[in-house]
Amino acid sequence: MIRFVLADLKRLWAGSVVIVLLVALAVALGVGVSLQERALRLGSARAAEKFDVIVGAPGSETQLVLSAVFLQPAALPLMPGEVLAELNDDPRVEWAAPVGFGDFHAGYPIIGTTTTLIEATAGGFSQGGMFRTEGEAVVGSAVPLQPGEAVVPTHGQVEQGGHEHEGIRYRVSGRLNPTGTPWDRAILVPIQAVWHVHGMGLEAGHDHDHDHAGHDTAHEDEEAHEHHGMDADAPLDEDWHRGALPGLPAILIKPKTIADAYRLRQDYRADGRTLAVFPGEVLTGLYATLGDARQVLAVIAAGTQLLVAAALLMVTVIHVGQRRRQIGALRAFGAPRAAVFGIVWLELSVLVGLGILLGYGGGYLAASLLSRAFAMQRGFSLPVGFTPEDGAMLAILAAVAALLAALPAWLAYRQSPAAALRN
Amino acid sequence: MPCLHLDAAEVSFPGLPAPVLHIPRLDIAAGSQVAVIGPSGSGKSTLVNVITGLARPTQGRVFWDECDIAQLSEGRRDRWRGANIGLVMQDFHLFPGLSALENVLLPARLARVADGAIRARAAALLSRAGLSRPDQPVETLSRGEMQRVAAARALLRNPGVIVADEPTASLDPENGAVIATLLLELAAQTGATLIVVTHDQRLISRLPRRIAMADGTVRYDSMAEAQP
Repeated sequence: MIRFVLADLKRLWAGSVVIVLLVALAVALGVGVSLQERALRLGSARAAEKFDVIVGAPGSETQLVLSAVFLQPAALPLMPGEVLAELNDDPRVEWAAPVGFGDFHAGYPIIGTTTTLIEATAGGFSQGGMFRTEGEAVVGSAVPLQPGEAVVPTHGQVEQGGHEHEGIRYRVSGRLNPTGTPWDRAILVPIQAVWHVHGMGLEAGHDHDHDHAGHDTAHEDEEAHEHHGMDADAPLDEDWHRGALPGLPAILIKPKTIADAYRLRQDYRADGRTLAVFPGEVLTGLYATLGDARQVLAVIAAGTQLLVAAALLMVTVIHVGQRRRQIGALRAFGAPRAAVFGIVWLELSVLVGLGILLGYGGGYLAASLLSRAFAMQRGFSLPVGFTPEDGAMLAILAAVAALLAALPAWLAYRQSPAAALRN
Repeated sequence: MPCLHLDAAEVSFPGLPAPVLHIPRLDIAAGSQVAVIGPSGSGKSTLVNVITGLARPTQGRVFWDECDIAQLSEGRRDRWRGANIGLVMQDFHLFPGLSALENVLLPARLARVADGAIRARAAALLSRAGLSRPDQPVETLSRGEMQRVAAARALLRNPGVIVADEPTASLDPENGAVIATLLLELAAQTGATLIVVTHDQRLISRLPRRIAMADGTVRYDSMAEAQP
């Protein structure tokens, strides 16, 4: 029977190919949508997983997460610098590290932070090592710079009217291993360097009421935006108790326990000066919004599959009608009805099954390509992968296909063998 | 070998004033060779359908020996036909993409009866029919060769009855003669009853008994004339 089915499909190869492709496309659409959506969820959750609690100035929670986790350029309000010292003294905190944004090098964000954060969140160095002085920089795996090369910071992005900090150069001291997060695109420098470059020295201790983190507002008055020198050879100073610290856009915190995380969020949310968020929670809120869009896409994909199934059913029923004589002949020569049923059912099932498998492959490929394109642009990877729930979906699709194939098979089963003799 | 006995067999369709087949009585002895002739629409094909079990008569009985196939269920008729009837048709009904040998074996394989003996018989029949390359794809055969493959298929399970419906109509005279000879010889060799529906005068002349049909009934039977 298998030989006969294969010979038959080969004879009708053009139609078979069209059916397989049609099914594959419809399935790929559905699979691609669900894989891509899951990849986005997984990828962003992975990007946020190292940061348990983020503290910033009161404002948009979403913007705080997008800026601190995904390094999306935006003007964040600043919170008083003493919050960092407080957090570092807090027994519930394992570590707390400031981040300062605003400068770029060739489109890569320069993030001021501390050795603690780099040690705790990055997966070690692939080349070189940690910055040891104010003028050194550590680059993420996606930044095309080698140890020893120079980083020239511009305030804001050049294409958006940013300008160079004259005379300021960082020297790359090390390169990090890939983490699959947007931080792979970051150039990390000591936070004190960022302060010094922007004239916010620790010693100065004056008020910073204008937003130094905002590069979108980079068209600042040249006079107002004084350039202060940075001492490239100055040793690192990560003691936050000496003098008043400048305002900070965000502090990333690793609490000691989960209970501590909740208490910290509680305390710093109620505080009035600050806002504290769980990035995961903020992302969940974002997914809920995205979920509606996904639902629309899923409905479109399901509709497409339904249309293809209906078209396929129509085509095969007509096809069985056209094969009355052949089917009748098989019966007339002594093939049992069950064999006739089996042949028609198997032919259709093979085609649809092939289409479904190809569709899964195609959907996976499409989602992977999209993710790769996204990773190149945004620096963080969207892991595309199948889960057991896809297996269940595959089983359901296969079962529906088998059931659908049974209808034309049943029609063939019911056909009179006398049809073979009629001209 | 079974003998045929039709008893008041009638096939009618709703909406038609007269039955398309109405045969009060017809006997065909085991091992005999019969030509069924008549103009188109005379009921020849319906007769073939009824005696091969492809269709059930509306009324009456169709005995092959003691077995009334009109009473059998569809599935049992299929099984009975597979074991007892060898069919050869005007359109060869060979399946492209399969070799000559595979075509001969296909119905037996689908009925799950193709054992080593059947396979050996298939090869022998093809060689007997004068086909030297059993592995040749059927679509590359000439029409004469195709009908020989169809004849080999009909005889594969050593049926007691061979029914041929216009076996030579789509062949040139030369090939028609070859096929006629093949059918007659194989039937004689195995002792099978041979029933041939045909317009082919040369073939008719080679068959001892002739049954002429018109308007769904038997109008002339050379046997009845011989035995008044």
